[in-house]
Amino acid sequence: MLYALVAGILFGLYYALISLGLNLSFGVLRMVNLAHGDFVMIGGFTAVVLYSSWHVHPLVSLVLGAAAVFVVGIALYYLLVPRIATTKDPEMISLVLFFGLSQVIEALAVIHFGNNEQSIFDPVFGTQPVSLLGQSLPAVWLVSGLVSLVALALVYLYLYRSRLGYSTRAVMASREEAEVSGINLHRVSAIAFGIGLGLAAAAGALAPFMLGGITPDIGTGLTTTAFAVIVLGSLGNPMGTIAGGLIYGIALMLMQTYLPSWASLLPYVLLLLVLLVRPSGLFGRQVRSA
Amino acid sequence: MMRFKRYLWTLASVAALLAMGGGATASAASAPAPKFITIGTLYAGSGNYATSSLPELAGLKFWISQVNAKGGVYVKAYHKKIKIRLVDYNDQSDPNTATTQYAQLITQDKVNILVSDFGSVLTAAAVTVAKEHKMVLFDPTGTGSSFFTPPSPYIVLTSLPTSAVWPDSFAKYLIALGKKRVAIVYATNDFDGAQDATLVAALKAHHITPVYNNGVDTATSNYTVIIHNMAQTHPDAAVEFGYPNNDITFFQNLSASGVHFPFLFTIFPGQQLALLTQNVGAKALSDTFTYPTPPLLAYNKGITYGLSLNAFAKAIKPQIKSAPNFLDIAGYQAGLVIQKTLETSKSLSQLDLRAAAGRIRFFTLDGQYKLAKSGAQLGELLPVAQLQPTKSGGVAPVIVYPQSVATGKAVATH
Repeated sequence: MLYALVAGILFGLYYALISLGLNLSFGVLRMVNLAHGDFVMIGGFTAVVLYSSWHVHPLVSLVLGAAAVFVVGIALYYLLVPRIATTKDPEMISLVLFFGLSQVIEALAVIHFGNNEQSIFDPVFGTQPVSLLGQSLPAVWLVSGLVSLVALALVYLYLYRSRLGYSTRAVMASREEAEVSGINLHRVSAIAFGIGLGLAAAAGALAPFMLGGITPDIGTGLTTTAFAVIVLGSLGNPMGTIAGGLIYGIALMLMQTYLPSWASLLPYVLLLLVLLVRPSGLFGRQVRSA
Repeated sequence: MMRFKRYLWTLASVAALLAMGGGATASAASAPAPKFITIGTLYAGSGNYATSSLPELAGLKFWISQVNAKGGVYVKAYHKKIKIRLVDYNDQSDPNTATTQYAQLITQDKVNILVSDFGSVLTAAAVTVAKEHKMVLFDPTGTGSSFFTPPSPYIVLTSLPTSAVWPDSFAKYLIALGKKRVAIVYATNDFDGAQDATLVAALKAHHITPVYNNGVDTATSNYTVIIHNMAQTHPDAAVEFGYPNNDITFFQNLSASGVHFPFLFTIFPGQQLALLTQNVGAKALSDTFTYPTPPLLAYNKGITYGLSLNAFAKAIKPQIKSAPNFLDIAGYQAGLVIQKTLETSKSLSQLDLRAAAGRIRFFTLDGQYKLAKSGAQLGELLPVAQLQPTKSGGVAPVIVYPQSVATGKAVATH
């Protein structure tokens, strides 16, 4: 029981990292990026390729991948989002467009990397497990938990301690009012979108250790789980994602301990429960309408 | 007199019916031969099963290229060689997509021969569709036991035994070793579930109740907590039944967890050793027990049909750019069974094809082929092998059970 709880907290922090970017993007754009999981996959392949080619440590790949994808995210924003915003039904169009983007990324990944699982099996995070609260856990889980906490703290500082963050929160509260007050809507949104994708890529660098082998098709499932996590925490509230991730992680590990056959249903069950019992999520005051 | 008239009338009717039947046969025999024998199949171009499905398709395509290079396959029904044409669709590892595409192959493409995709999950969709359309399904690797529950007149398992049979030797080996505390985790699909059921039944017959026996979803991406829970039961043998993605994740998580099982068995190192080694490293695989399949079981002598393993490996290399794995062989084996079926079937009717496939007796690079009435494969053997370290830093299988085929002895685990 204690093992499942400790493992659940660390795994939950990792899922919070995967999901945070999706919620940030949703908060500013009011669009669900269905290609979000594919950027986790890109981050994963970046780590695998850099390590297998030049023995670049995955933590270095994490930074490099996140930075590169951040830039790609900004470019992607200006390429796609302003055009969607001018359509009659931007939410619906965005779903189709991001789904299409997801398919394109997956197809390109298949062409470049093939369908086989790829991973890093060298003990880059040490050969011995570490002890946490008396429980012996893989060292990479602790590293993943720390990385997630650092990333979450940086996002917090960005949102609550920087001018750009204030603008971002203003856009998240009301795009119209933010625009009227002189905030450069596209600039703020593009940066938030880039950060969201960068966080996904950062999480991806740890995916070969946390999620088994990387394959081009892992994106869709990750997007689904990330969506469940952010609905749990509340859509549009990035900090609620941390709680959503923790609840998901702990519930998953408890399910794997007591009802392993049913564990994979968890994201969907949580999603249904939240939508039925508390549609605005656990931290639902800032729920968005989309 | 009245009775005699009735007798004559009956006799005449029977004669007329026979004549009609004969005419029908004659007209079938005299019908023009098709330009191609069309084989329809699906493959997973992406998703969980792509790793296994693509080599299986490559093996089938290799067989087609070999046959067509010789002017086609001899079709007894037309007493001539006819070239093979392949129609294949990408099901993306999705059983729902596969169901639609199997139906499309039969109803729209009107294929002569239907071949299922890799594994039980994607074959399950084909079994239902084939039954509905009374079409024989040539099944290379879908070994789920439920497919072969009689009556099953429309399925031919071309390669491996049904999954419920796989653990026979393994269960006997565990019992012979005196293992009493067996921990099992299995993926909840036909293929792995059937193996778990067989193993548990065999152990229970010897009064051994597994100390841990739980199913997990086939898409499980982390086994860390499950490994911890298995270790808590202090097993003297741990078993993980899954697909390649499950095995890879299990080995990775096991290495990182610091847990050590005194005896470990998994399925796919015996079928896809190169893939497993690439992902988890030889060290993690060292001393693991598995089912060895060709090419780890090398059949080069006594081949009565098709290429030997060495000849096959050499011939297919230009197409797949690497050494073949079991799935390449399974695809090629499906082609050999289809070839022999066409060579011996009196017509292209589905029931005649099924009957001809049932009569085949040959020994190929995949081993002995022998079909049960249920359509299940009986001929092939699945012994137990241990992956032992080699001097070059890799691992190689040593067959340890049964004694009749053993090539060495098991070594103590690290």
